[in-house]
Amino acid sequence: MMGLLEWILDLLLSPWLFVPLIYPGLISAFAVLLFIIWFERKLAAKVQLRYGPLYVLKRLGGAIQLVADLLRYLFAEPIVPDQADRLAFIFGPILLFASSYIAAIAIPISYDFYAFRSEISLLVVLGLNTLAPAFNLVIGWGSNNKFGLIGGLREGFLITADEIPMFVSALAMAVLYGTMDLVRMVELQSEWLWGIALNPLAAVTFFVLMLLSTSRFPFEIVEAESEIVMGPFTEYSGILYGLTMGASYVKLYVLSLLFAILFLGGWEPLPPLEFPGSWLILPGAVLFLKALVIMCLSVFMRAVYPRYRIDQALRLAWHYLFPASILSVFLSLLVLSGWSI
Amino acid sequence: MTDRRWSSPVFRLKGHLDAILTGAKYLITPRATVRYPEEVIELPEGYRGFIEYKKDICISCGLCATVCPANAMKMYVERAAEPGEEAPAEEVKPKRYPGINYTRCIFCGFCVDVCPTGALEHVETHDVAYEDFNSMIYPPGEFAAGPPKPEFDTPPRRLRPTMDERRGIAYEPAD
Amino acid sequence: MSEEEHVLELLIGPQHPASGHMRLVAKVDGDVVVSLRPDIGYVHRTVEKLAETKNYIQIIPLIERPPLADTANHNLGYVLALERLLGIEAPPRAQWLRTLLAEMTRIHSHFYGLGIHGIMLGSSTAFMWAFWDREIMIELAQRLTGARLTYSYMIPGGVRRDLPPGFEDEMDKALRYLERRIPDYHKIFFDNPVTRARLEGVGVLRREDAIRLGIVGPNLRASGVPYDVRKVDPYCAYPELDFNVVTREEGDSLARMMVRVGEIRESINMIRQILKKMPDGPILEERYLKMIPPKWKEWMAQHRRIKLPAALISLRPPKGEAVARVEAARGEAVYYIVSDGSPKPYRFRVVSPSIRNVVLFEHLIRNCRVADIPAIYGSLDYFPPEADR
Repeated sequence: MMGLLEWILDLLLSPWLFVPLIYPGLISAFAVLLFIIWFERKLAAKVQLRYGPLYVLKRLGGAIQLVADLLRYLFAEPIVPDQADRLAFIFGPILLFASSYIAAIAIPISYDFYAFRSEISLLVVLGLNTLAPAFNLVIGWGSNNKFGLIGGLREGFLITADEIPMFVSALAMAVLYGTMDLVRMVELQSEWLWGIALNPLAAVTFFVLMLLSTSRFPFEIVEAESEIVMGPFTEYSGILYGLTMGASYVKLYVLSLLFAILFLGGWEPLPPLEFPGSWLILPGAVLFLKALVIMCLSVFMRAVYPRYRIDQALRLAWHYLFPASILSVFLSLLVLSGWSI
Repeated sequence: MTDRRWSSPVFRLKGHLDAILTGAKYLITPRATVRYPEEVIELPEGYRGFIEYKKDICISCGLCATVCPANAMKMYVERAAEPGEEAPAEEVKPKRYPGINYTRCIFCGFCVDVCPTGALEHVETHDVAYEDFNSMIYPPGEFAAGPPKPEFDTPPRRLRPTMDERRGIAYEPAD
Repeated sequence: MSEEEHVLELLIGPQHPASGHMRLVAKVDGDVVVSLRPDIGYVHRTVEKLAETKNYIQIIPLIERPPLADTANHNLGYVLALERLLGIEAPPRAQWLRTLLAEMTRIHSHFYGLGIHGIMLGSSTAFMWAFWDREIMIELAQRLTGARLTYSYMIPGGVRRDLPPGFEDEMDKALRYLERRIPDYHKIFFDNPVTRARLEGVGVLRREDAIRLGIVGPNLRASGVPYDVRKVDPYCAYPELDFNVVTREEGDSLARMMVRVGEIRESINMIRQILKKMPDGPILEERYLKMIPPKWKEWMAQHRRIKLPAALISLRPPKGEAVARVEAARGEAVYYIVSDGSPKPYRFRVVSPSIRNVVLFEHLIRNCRVADIPAIYGSLDYFPPEADR
C-alpha cells in the first residue's frame, strides 16, 4: 500500500508529469486563472471607487468569486446554435484553451527541474504559444455570427502583427545570451545582469506585445464589447464560454512566465540549492511571483485605458513595435560588443 | 485649435504615464460604495417616499385622486354600516376614502402637496420589496394602517451623507 | 465582386451592449462602414398623445420621463410654455431656484453622457467615475426637491420647495470637489493618448453642415457655432448670470466631449453665482399663494415648501397657443401647447434635442470604421427615449 502511494507520488513529482500537470502546467494555470480574474476585477473596482467581488468569502474580499463563477459556468447549458458548425463550435474553445497552456510544458522552473531541456526551448514556447489565436479564427467562423466573424478576422489581423515582433524581441534576448535554452539564459543572467537591465527596449516591446496578443486593455480589440458584443465568443454560453474567456488569461500566464525568465532572471537570485525538495518549491515560487507581478501589471491596464481601434493597434504594432523589436536586436549586439571589449 | 503637442511621441508617452500614475493614485483613495443591505443611507427630510395616510382627518375631498398623474390614487366607497342594518343614517351614508396602488405611484408628491388637511404625508423610506403586485395595492383601510416598512435580516448601519471636498460625499454613521 | 458580395449588413441593437434603445443598421465593407441607418422609435411612449388626456399639471411628471437625466430642463421648458399660455410669471426667487436646478441637472446629465461615452470606448473607469460624480448633484437635488431624478419641481407660477437649510455650504463643498476631480478625469480619460487617438478627427461635423442639418446643443457648439438659447433667448435668471458659451472649432468627437466638460465648468460657476445673488421672496405666484388656506402659512414657512392650491390641479388656460424653448443639457428643447379652454391641452408638441440630432448618425458615421460607431454615438450624447418621446 505504502509502496503504491510512494510510486504515485514519485510519478507525480517526476518532471514529466509535474510540469505539464501541476506547475507550471494545468493545475497552477487554473489557480492563476481563478486568482487573476478576481484580482483584475478588484483592481479595476478600487480605481473606480468600488469594491468589486465581495460577497463570496467576504473575509478575503470575495476571493473565491471565480470559483462560484466557474461552478455557474459548469452547470449552465452550453447552447450550440442550429446554424453553427458544430465541430468547430464545440472543439474550438477546448483546443483554444489547450493550446493556450500547452506552451507551459517547455518552461523550466529551476536549474534541474524541467520536462525537457532543449537547445531551442525558447522557440518551442513561442511557437506553441502562437497556436492559440488560430482557434479564435475557427471559433469566429464556426459560430456563424456576424459579430463572431468580425471578431475572428480581427484576431487574424492581430496574430501577424503581434507574433512577429514578439518573436523578434524574444530572439533579441537569444542573440544577447547566445543561446535559446531557457535554463542557460537564467544561468547567464545570474552571472551578468537581469535581461531587463541589459536590453530594456526588448523588455518594453515584449510587454506591450504581451498585452496585444492576450487582448488586454488597451488592445481589447477582439472582444470589444461595445462594438462587436463579445467578438468570436458572442454565441457561447456555459463552460464553453468559460474556456474561451479563460484562454487569454492562461496565455498571459505563460507569456508572463516567459517574460520572467527572459528579462527578470527567472528563479534568480536563488543559487542551485543542495537540500532535497528545494529544487521544486523555492525556485518555482520565485519564478511564479515574478510572473504574477507581470500579470497584475497587465490586468491593471483595464482600469486605465479605453481600447484602441484595430487599425491603430496594427499601426502601433507595425510602425512602432516592429522597428523597436528590430532595434532591440541591434541593442543586444551592441551590448555584446561592449561586453567583450 | 487642435493641440499640436499631441503629434509628439514624447508628449504622448507622458500622457500614458500620467494615465497610469493617476490610476495608481486611485488605488489608495477611499471607496465611494455604500453596501446597501448592511448600510442604509439616511434620506433627507422631505424626501418623497411612501405615503402616510391619516384617515381620521381626511375630509374625502378627492383632490389627491384628481391630481394623481399616474392614476395610482383612487377613491374607494366605504360604508360604516350596510344599508339594511340598524344604524344611524350617518353611518349608512357611503363615504369615499383614498387608496393607493404602489405599482403605479411615481412618487411625484402632488397628492401630498394638494391635500388640504395634511392627511397625506411622505415618509423617508422607499425600499420595500413585495412578493406580488396585489400586495402593492392599499385600499383605504390598509393605507391608513401606516406606510410599508422595509425589513432587514439584521438591523443596518444608518449612514448620513454630507458633502466633502475630498471624497464628494462622505457617509458618516447617523447615530 | 458585386457590392452585395462584400458588404455585410450588421444589425447593431436593440439587444446590443452599446446600442441603446434603438437599432443601428450598418452596412460594413471590411472594417469600413458604408452606410448607417438608425432605426428609431423603439421606445416611443406616445407622450404627446398621452398629454392630451391629462390635466396640465399632470403633464409635468409625464414630460420628465423621456429625457431622463435631464429632467429639470424639460420640466422648465413645459412650465414656461404653460405660464405664457396662462399669462403669469413666476416670482424672482422661483426663477432663480429654477435656474439652479436646471444647471445642477445639466451637470449630472453631462456626467451621464461622458460616462456612457467612456464605456463605449472601453474605459470602464470613466464610466464609473462619471456615474459617481453624477451622484453628488443627484444627492443635492434630492435635498432640494425630495426626489433623485424625477423632480417635478417646477409648477406653473413657481417652484414647490425653497432651499433647505445649509444648502449653500454643502453645495460649495460639492462644487469644490468636482473642480478637484476634473484634472484627474483629464489625466485618465480626456487626455489619455488612447482616447485622443479614438476621438480626434473622428466624425467631423463641419460648421456649414451643422447649421444646415439643424443640429442643436453641445454638438452644434463643438462645430464652432455659439448658439445657446440661454444667450439667444434668455429665460429665468440667465440674463443676470455671467457665463460663456463654450465652443470648439474642430467639430470632431473629441470637441463634442470637451464642450460638455467646458459646460460642466461653466455650470459650476453659474451655480456659485446663483447662490450668491439669489433674491429673497415668495416662491409661488401671488394669485396662487392667496388660494392656499391661511392655516398652512406657518407650516409652509417652517418646512420651506408650498401647498398646491386646488386651482392648480384643474388649470383652464384661455384658448390659444404658446411656445417656449430652453437650452436643455443635450440642446434646444421646444415646447408647444394649444389650448381649447378645457383643462386638458388640445395639442401638445415636444421637439427634443435628441430628435434633432439623430440625423447625425447617418451623416457622420459614414466611411469610418466599425469601432468608430460607438465612439461617435457616445460623443453625440444621443438618448433614444428622449428622441422617441
